[in-house]
Amino acid sequence: MALEDFKADALRCTRCSYCKWIPFDLVKSHDYAKGCPSVDYNKFHSYSAGGRLITMLSLMQGRSEVDDDVVDIAFKCQLCGNCDVACKVCRYDMEPLAGIKEFRRTLNEQGKVPAAFPKLIGNLRSAGNFAGLPQAARRGWTEGLGLKELAPGGAAAGAAAPVLFHAGCRYSFDPTLRSKVQAAAKVLTAGGLDFAVDPAEACCTGKAYDMGYRDDFAAGAKANLEKWAAAGVKTVVTPCATCFWTFKRLYPEVAAAAGLEVPEILHTTQMADRLLKAGALRPARRVSLSVTYHDPCHLGRQGEDYEAWDGKEVKIYGQAVVYDPPRPRYNGAGGVYDAPRDVLKAIPGIELIEMERSREAAWCCGAGGNVREAYPEFNAWTAGVRVEEAKSTGAEALVSACSGCEKNFAEAVAAAAAEGAPAGDLKIYDVLELLEQSL
Amino acid sequence: MPISDEAYAALEAIVGKENVSRNPAVMDSYAFQWLAELVRPELSHFMPRPVAVVMPGSTEEVQAIVKLANKYKIKVKPHSTGWYHWAAPMYDDKDTMQLDMRRMNKIEIDEKNGIAIVEPYVIHAQLHAEAIKRGWTCNIIGAGCSCSVVAAACAYMGMGPGAYYMGGHAENVLGMEWITPAGEIVRSGSLGSGDGWFNSEGPGPSVRGVIRGALGQRGGLGVFTRCAIKLVHWSGRTDWPVTGTIPAYRLPVDETQRAYTLAAPDWDRWADLYYKIYDNELGFIFHRQFNLAGADLAPAFWLMYTDPTKKLSDVPAMVADPEIAELTEEMRISFQIVLSGRSVADIELQDQILDDVLAETGCWKVERFCDKDMAEFTNVYLQRLGHKHINFVWVGGYIGSWMQIGTPDWVKGYIPTAQAGLARDAKDGLLVQCGGDAMMGPGSSYPGGGGVGLEQFVSYDPNDEASTRAGIKHMEDAITDALSIGYPPGKEAMYLEMGHSDDRTFKKWAAAKQPFTFIFQRKIKEHYDPNDIGDRMYNYIPEEYEPAK
Ligand SMILES: Cc1cc2nc3c(=O)[nH]c(=O)nc-3n(C[C@H](O)[C@H](O)[C@@H](O)COP(=O)(O)OP(=O)(O)OC[C@H]3O[C@@H](n4cnc5c(N)ncnc54)[C@H](O)[C@@H]3O)c2cc1C
Ligand code: SF4
Ligand code: SF4
Repeated sequence: MALEDFKADALRCTRCSYCKWIPFDLVKSHDYAKGCPSVDYNKFHSYSAGGRLITMLSLMQGRSEVDDDVVDIAFKCQLCGNCDVACKVCRYDMEPLAGIKEFRRTLNEQGKVPAAFPKLIGNLRSAGNFAGLPQAARRGWTEGLGLKELAPGGAAAGAAAPVLFHAGCRYSFDPTLRSKVQAAAKVLTAGGLDFAVDPAEACCTGKAYDMGYRDDFAAGAKANLEKWAAAGVKTVVTPCATCFWTFKRLYPEVAAAAGLEVPEILHTTQMADRLLKAGALRPARRVSLSVTYHDPCHLGRQGEDYEAWDGKEVKIYGQAVVYDPPRPRYNGAGGVYDAPRDVLKAIPGIELIEMERSREAAWCCGAGGNVREAYPEFNAWTAGVRVEEAKSTGAEALVSACSGCEKNFAEAVAAAAAEGAPAGDLKIYDVLELLEQSL
Repeated sequence: MPISDEAYAALEAIVGKENVSRNPAVMDSYAFQWLAELVRPELSHFMPRPVAVVMPGSTEEVQAIVKLANKYKIKVKPHSTGWYHWAAPMYDDKDTMQLDMRRMNKIEIDEKNGIAIVEPYVIHAQLHAEAIKRGWTCNIIGAGCSCSVVAAACAYMGMGPGAYYMGGHAENVLGMEWITPAGEIVRSGSLGSGDGWFNSEGPGPSVRGVIRGALGQRGGLGVFTRCAIKLVHWSGRTDWPVTGTIPAYRLPVDETQRAYTLAAPDWDRWADLYYKIYDNELGFIFHRQFNLAGADLAPAFWLMYTDPTKKLSDVPAMVADPEIAELTEEMRISFQIVLSGRSVADIELQDQILDDVLAETGCWKVERFCDKDMAEFTNVYLQRLGHKHINFVWVGGYIGSWMQIGTPDWVKGYIPTAQAGLARDAKDGLLVQCGGDAMMGPGSSYPGGGGVGLEQFVSYDPNDEASTRAGIKHMEDAITDALSIGYPPGKEAMYLEMGHSDDRTFKKWAAAKQPFTFIFQRKIKEHYDPNDIGDRMYNYIPEEYEPAK
C-alpha cells in the first residue's frame, strides 16, 4: 500500500462531513450528535477523516509539505473508526480509516512522527512492551489464581493448551486494572473452561501497526503466531479489545504471508456469553446496579471478522465503482455488540441503560491510535466527554470491555471528581467483573 | 498573497491562536470542494486557497474579524459546514479569509412558541432531534440533515421534501442576526426592536428581501451569526425509536402516519396525481427520492441497500432477477410520500382520499416498496434525510442538471429532453448509465404545491479525467437542450458560472432580460459593503457593466 492507493478515495471524497457525526438516523439530541473526537477537539476540517484525505491529496499534488501541523493531522486521531462507519452509510467506494493509517505509515517512513513515538517504539524493541517494563512483572496478575501455564516451548514441551488466555500488556502490568483481568480469568475458570496463560506472553504489537511501524508489528505478530502454532493453541481469548482486534483483523495477513494459521480469536465477553448460553455459568447472586455499556472501538465497530481480499476496482454501468472480487465491507454492521450486552443482561439485578451513542456509533474513550501516549490532553478531553455522556443516562456505573477504555475512564472520573463534576461518582467496571460478582 | 504577519496577529488576538491557521495543508482542506473539478483550471479539485482560516466563537468575534478584513482589504467567505464549491473562496487573485463557523453551535428551543434559535454550526439533524422530543418537527432541506440550519435559512435556498407542507426556510426564517460586510450588527425583524425572535419583518428593521430573497446570497454579503426558525407540529412519537443497523436503519411508522411509494403509468398521469395531491391537501413529506439511482436501476439498488449483507456489486444480478425487472417497470415513474394525521381517524381519511385519487388518475401504490420493511426505511429516510450523501453513491461525483421549478405540467415538459440528454451523454460510458430518467426532486418546493422541480442525477468519476470532462460537457449540453425547448437553463448553469471570470459573468448579467435587479443589488452592496469584502455570490453588476439606459 502507498499514499497513492488512496488518491481515488481523496478525489472521490465530497467533503460532505458525514464523517464528523454519528450516522444521522441515530442522532437523538444536539449534544450527542458528534462522532469524531479529533475534529471536535482540533476543530479545523483537516482533523476529520475527509480532511485527512484532502491533506494527503494536497501532499501528493505537491501543494503543501509535511510540517508539524501535518504530523498532528495524521496522528492526532484515535483511529476510532466512527468516520468509516458514517462515511459508509452512503458510500461503497471509500475507505477513510484505512487511508488515515496509510497516511501515518507514510509519514513514519519519513521519520515524521509525534515526539512520544521514538521512546514508545524503543520500549517495544528493548523490553517487549510499550511501557518499557520488565517482562517478569507481567505475571503478577496471575498470582494466587492457580492458572495453568503454557510451558516454554509449547506443545513440544508437552503442555498442549487449546485455549490460551492472553491478558494483554496493560492488564498485565497496570496494578489498577488487576482486579478486572483477574475477574475475567475467574469467570472462565468458574465456567469450566480449560485454558492456560502464557508466562512469556508477548505484546500483540497492534499499536505498532497504528503508529506506522509496520515491520515491528509484523515481527511481533509472526513470533506470536509461531509460538501459538508450536503450542497447538486453537483458541485465543483475551479481555483486551485492542489485542482482540489485532489478532482478528491484523494477524491474518501476517499469517498468510508466513504460511501460518490464526487460531480462533474470542473476546472474554464472547467466551463468557458462550458459557452462559451453554449453562456452564449460572449467575445467581444479585448485583443491584444500573449500568451503561461503552462499546470499545476495537470490539464494536472494528471487531468485524476479517475477510481476505486481493482484488481490483472495476466499473459497471460505465462508471459505477465495484470491486472484483467483491471487496469486504467493513462498516461496523458486524461488530461485537451483543455478547457483552447479553452477559450484562444475564446478571440478576443489573439494569442496562444505553447511551445515545452506542454500538457502531459509540464515542471513543480517547485512548486509541496512541493518542493516550502522544496527546495526553486530547486523550483526557475525549474520555471526559464520554464519562459525562455516561453520567447523563442516570446509570451508576460505566462498564466496558477493554483495558484502554477502563483505564481512561477511571482517570476521567477521577478528574471529574476533582472538579466536583457530576460524573465524578461514576463507578467503572469491566463486564466480567460484574459477572464474577454474580457467581 | 500570503496574509501579513500584522493582520494574522490581529486575527489571533481576536479568536485565540488555536482558532486561526494559515498553514497551507490546513487551508487546502477548505479549498477542496465538491464540484471544484468541474470549474477549475486543469480539473483541480481545489477552489482558490484562502489566506487564512478563522473560527470565530461569538457574534462579537465575527464583527471584529469583519472589521479587520475591511482594514486589511481581505475578502471574507463564511461557511457553516461547507459543502459546495460556492462555500469556498472564489478568486485566485484576491485575498480571502475563510470563516469556519463551527465554534458557534448553540441551540435554544422556545417550546411554547414553536421556535428554535440556532447558531451556524447547528445542523438539521440536531434541530430535528431536539424538536421531535418536544412534539415539534422541522423542514429539513433537500441537501439533508448534515447541513447547517442558519446557512439554509439565511444564506442559501432552504427547500426540501418537507417544504410542501412545512414551508421552506425562506418562509420559516424569523429573526436573523447579520454582520454586514462593513462590520455592523443588524438584528432583523422583531429582534431589532428588542421584542424577541418571533418575526422576520417587524416590528423592527426588515432586511429579509434585501439579504435573503428566494435563493440567498451564498456568503457574498456578510455573515449570519444566529437566526430563529419556525417549527412545525409533530403528531408522531417523541422518542425516535430507530431500529436496525448501518446503512439502512428503519423507523417504525406511527399509527397516525403512512410512508408510501406511488407510481404512475405515464408523465401525464403523474402530473394529474400531483395536482390531486395538492388539491386534497395530502402529504407531509413529498419527494421523488428513490429514483436518484436511475429508473433502470433504482428498485434493485434500494433492495440492495436495505440488505446489510449486500454490496454495490450485487446490483447487476438483482437487476436481472425477473421479479425485480417487473418491479422496475412497475415503479418507473414513481415517488415517495409520507402522510401525517393528527389522529387515527384523520390518517384513515387521508388514506381513503389517497386511494380515491389513485383510482381517479390510474396510478397505484407500489406494494413491494409499501410493505412494512420498506415503509419503515422510507419513513426514516424522509423524516431525517440522513442519507443525502447517497447522491454520490455510484462513483463519488454527481451533478444535478435541470431542476427548473414550476407546475407539474411545466416540469413534465422537460423530462423527455432531460432523459434523452442523459442517454446521449452517457452512451460512451463516461457517465454512469443508470438508464431511463434519473430525476429526483420535491413534490413541491413551495408550501401547498405547485413548485415541483426535478433534477437529473448525472454521475461522473472525479478520479477520472475523461469522465469529469464528460460531466462538464453534459452541463453545457443541458443548457443547450433546455434553451432548445424554450426552458431556462437549470442548476448546471449556476455550477458552471463559478468557474467564469467576473467580467464574463457581469456581461452575462448585464445582458439579462431584467438587468435592473442586478443594478439595484449593486446599490445595496455599495451601501453595506463599501470595501468590497464580499464576492459576486451576492449577484450585482458594477456600474461600468450597466447596459445603456
Ligand atoms: C448534495 C447537495 C444537495 C443539495 N440540495 C439542496 C436542496 O435540495 N435544497 C436546498 O435548499 N439546498 C440544497 N443544497 C444546497 C444547500 O442548501 C447548501 O449547500 C447549504 O445550505 C448547506 O448547508 P451547509 O452548512 O453545507 O452550508 P455551506 O456550504 O457552509 O454554505 C452554503 C452557502 O451559504 C454561505 N454561508 C454559510 N454559512 C453562512 C453564514 N453563517 N453566513 C453567511 N453565509 C453563509 C456559504 O458561503 C455558501 O455560499 C444542496 C447541497 C448539496 C451539497
Ligand atoms: S471521508 Fe467520506 S464522509 Fe468524510 S467528507 Fe469524505 S466522503 Fe464525506
Ligand atoms: S478515526 Fe475517529 S478520531 Fe480519527 S478521524 Fe475517524 S472518527 Fe475522527
